[in-house]
Amino acid sequence: MSWFRKLNRKAGAVSRGVSYSSSPLLASKTPPWRSKFLVAMIGLGSVVLIGRALSIQVVHNQFYLEQGEKRYAHELDLPASRGRITDRHGALLATSVSVPSIWVIPKDVQATREQKRELAKLLGLPYAEIDRKLADTSSRFAWLQRQVDEPLWQQVKALGIKGVYETREYRRKYPEGEAAAHLVGFTDTDDNGQEGIELAFQRDLQGKDGSRVVVKDRLGRVVENIGDQVEAVDGRNIELAADAKVQSYAYQRVRDAVLEHKAKAGSAVVIDVQSGEVLALANYPSFNPADRRNLTGAQLRNRALTDTFEPGSTMKPFIAAWALDSGRVRPDTPIQTAPGSITITGSTIRDAHPHGVLTVAEVIQKSSNVGTVKMAMQMDRREMWELYSQVGFGQKPQLQFPGAVTGRLRPFKTWRPIEQATMSYGYGLSTSLFQLARAYTVFAHDGEVMPVSMLKQAAAATPPAGLRVLKPETARAVREMLRLAAGPGGTAPRAQTMGYSVGGKTGTAHKQEGKEYSSNKYRAWFVGMAPIDKPRIVVAVMVDEPTNGVYFGGDVAAPVFAQVVQQTLRTLGVAPDLDVKPQIMANGVAESF
Amino acid sequence: MTRVNMLLVLALILSSLYLVRTAYDSRRLFTDLDRAKNEAARLDTEQRRLEAERQAAATNLRVERTARERLAMRNATPAVTLYVSDSAASGVAR
Repeated sequence: MSWFRKLNRKAGAVSRGVSYSSSPLLASKTPPWRSKFLVAMIGLGSVVLIGRALSIQVVHNQFYLEQGEKRYAHELDLPASRGRITDRHGALLATSVSVPSIWVIPKDVQATREQKRELAKLLGLPYAEIDRKLADTSSRFAWLQRQVDEPLWQQVKALGIKGVYETREYRRKYPEGEAAAHLVGFTDTDDNGQEGIELAFQRDLQGKDGSRVVVKDRLGRVVENIGDQVEAVDGRNIELAADAKVQSYAYQRVRDAVLEHKAKAGSAVVIDVQSGEVLALANYPSFNPADRRNLTGAQLRNRALTDTFEPGSTMKPFIAAWALDSGRVRPDTPIQTAPGSITITGSTIRDAHPHGVLTVAEVIQKSSNVGTVKMAMQMDRREMWELYSQVGFGQKPQLQFPGAVTGRLRPFKTWRPIEQATMSYGYGLSTSLFQLARAYTVFAHDGEVMPVSMLKQAAAATPPAGLRVLKPETARAVREMLRLAAGPGGTAPRAQTMGYSVGGKTGTAHKQEGKEYSSNKYRAWFVGMAPIDKPRIVVAVMVDEPTNGVYFGGDVAAPVFAQVVQQTLRTLGVAPDLDVKPQIMANGVAESF
Repeated sequence: MTRVNMLLVLALILSSLYLVRTAYDSRRLFTDLDRAKNEAARLDTEQRRLEAERQAAATNLRVERTARERLAMRNATPAVTLYVSDSAASGVAR
């Protein structure tokens, strides 16, 4: 304790010695540089502050302006809608509608058991799932159901559950459904075209979203625009050449034929000969574009454009036409087809039914292989190749549509004589049904093969010029042969339809399986036109693997042709060119292939 | 001098009040306009939806099935159709 007392004593001694009135500090004079220094420091400080203020408010003010604006400005999206797809008369084939999607903030939800049960019932979800979604209070967002119908949202809203909201999304609707599914195609959830016209015209259909920056008040109302508004640009509407009625009718008839003949698939193509417009493009099996779960490749395939096959007998008219056009034969020139077979470099080509002497017209009418080969062998292989190429075989169709195939036509230099012979009656090359239909416009349009179009042509525009391949009189002569082929005594009397004259050619083939031809799988088709004197439409019908007993093109495909022609010409307002009376066609001949 | 100043102050106050009033009005009008535009957009989408629904209710497949099954109608054929040409029709009318 002694050090403590000592310290106390010391402190007492000091306090006693201080005299406040005469501090030496006060007595000493302040040196003048000190005040000057302080003033200088204060001045410098002011300069720094002014400089900083200048830098913020004048020089680098952009950043702060933006930050300030962010505190009260809101950017709103202006959604653009995707263009519509309509048929030639304006009937909607695809359109975008805005539909509600229901979402929740689980932690805000206050719902009674009763309300939850009601909600589950409305949404068609199990109660447990609703409960689970709402119970997860850690998440700030959960979809209840996306893209629901408007009335359903109204009902959900009427439940008055707090924390349940809607947001708007566009959903694509396809009113014509499965009938036009392959033609129109569909989009994915982000509105990108995936198939058909939706894909082909994606860039036109797609809109461009706009945006605007606004000031909102306390109640969330927009009170002012800031800056320029970027307008939303809606997608362009696409008007197809197709006629929804014809399309739907063709689809139904193909469907019926496929079901009736227990076939695997079928297709039909209808082309307006005057304008080259595609009036219908139907395939069965099809799908419902609105519900694309469990889709199979078979349903998605646009067979009319993507499936190729050997065109068989339907090629014979081209050979006859060229033989006529080049002056080698006349329609009544006799050709000896007995004994029903011909041998070319060791291979024998046969007719299914031996005929004897036939005129050129009869060769087509009876579909004689031997007669056709005899005409073809007079031609140079290059001539034949050029003819086939000009009407579009082995050429990619000039068509704004995804997936159209080229088919196969080998360069003529590699043709051996036997191949030239088989190609004359349609073997050794392949084509799609669409190419075949287009090729037949050469007969229907007086010797010109028409450019085809998926889009409606402007009414005022002159019809597009075709590529002249044959003389008009040749085309007329071949049409007469086609009329015979589809008449009594031809291979397809069932192609006849009431009131309209028709002409066309059937085809039937064993399906190719690997390198072999299958013995019991067939493909049947028919290509024709009507009315035959002044054709307005070309219709091609194909049925794949009919297994119900009959399999000839004349029995399976021709009736579909007849019905489609009847309905289409009626829809187009073409007056019948035949006197209407019940027509009896009893004695059709067996068809060969 | 004082009177002039007083007058100016009064004018200033009136002008300020008027400015406040105008700003308020313009915001209110803008809100109304915006609401009307939203309403137009809503009606537009509604129209699109209804059009799609109308088309879906009147697809050719459905019309044909209804005509055939409920109304027992058949396809018209040339056999039961009377064709008249335009000129003939106008002749009859006169």
